[in-house]
Amino acid sequence: MSGLSELDQITRAASGDRAAQAALVNRNMPIVFRVAYRMLQDRAEAEDVTQETFLRAWKALPDWQPKAKFSTWACTVALNLCRDRLRKKKPVLMDELPERVDTALRPEEYLSSQQTLKGIEANIAALPERQREALSLCALEGMTNIEAAAAMDVSVRALESLLARARRTLKARMSGVLAGEKQ
Amino acid sequence: MTREKMTVERVLQLIEAFGAEPGGWPEDERAAASSLIEAEPDVFAEALSEARALDAFLLSEALPEPSDELVATILAPAGAALATLMMGKVGGYAYASGNLGYDQADAVYYAAFSVDSDASWLSLE
Repeated sequence: MSGLSELDQITRAASGDRAAQAALVNRNMPIVFRVAYRMLQDRAEAEDVTQETFLRAWKALPDWQPKAKFSTWACTVALNLCRDRLRKKKPVLMDELPERVDTALRPEEYLSSQQTLKGIEANIAALPERQREALSLCALEGMTNIEAAAAMDVSVRALESLLARARRTLKARMSGVLAGEKQ
Repeated sequence: MTREKMTVERVLQLIEAFGAEPGGWPEDERAAASSLIEAEPDVFAEALSEARALDAFLLSEALPEPSDELVATILAPAGAALATLMMGKVGGYAYASGNLGYDQADAVYYAAFSVDSDASWLSLE
């Protein structure tokens, strides 16, 4: 199956070829799951989004137009599903809020929350939503700037700005650890 | 972009946004930016060093694996979803064309539901 082009694989999957369907899932499911997990920070929810993404894929395949790679299309769907879920959880968009210390936390709670924010995963999770999407697609999943911008439905310049802000934030938050990495 | 049009400022912007690896930079600027770095390595040494450290840290990300059942769960509805859609298309054509009787159109429907067998049901002959 590996010798097939993606379009051939999609055509076969659409016509009911179970091997082609399995190959399409095996090739693209991991990236969809990881992108969803980074957004939702919950394995069960990320699996639900992954499942829903492929359910939509099965419906879309018979009319598939090869305008984008399947993975780009799938990430677009997954990101939209994640945004819907995040919106239901938090009606105020995180990108619209200024970054500040949550003063509602008691000192010991604040300290504890900071101690958990020590790994790269937690620091990525703490990024504003759109920055996290950009970093996830480009830096972590290896999409090109054009593919990631398409998946996020933003311009290439906007994507670059989101990436730069994400990396600046991570660099500032992890300056101590990064200094060690450089040595 | 040509080497002549690439600027120090733009290369620093690329490093800041996309990291230290030229493979991650926009394709149309990659060669010119790499060429400028090669020509003036000292100018970019610090930015590249900082970006490399962050790149390495990003690569250390550890995420949970999806459950073993997820692939099977995803594949389970694939046959049914595709068969239902194709049933609508093929069946709709069958009735509209007037070349098939109800029995033949029903045969197409039943074939659509047994998608695992082969893809011959797509043919109306």
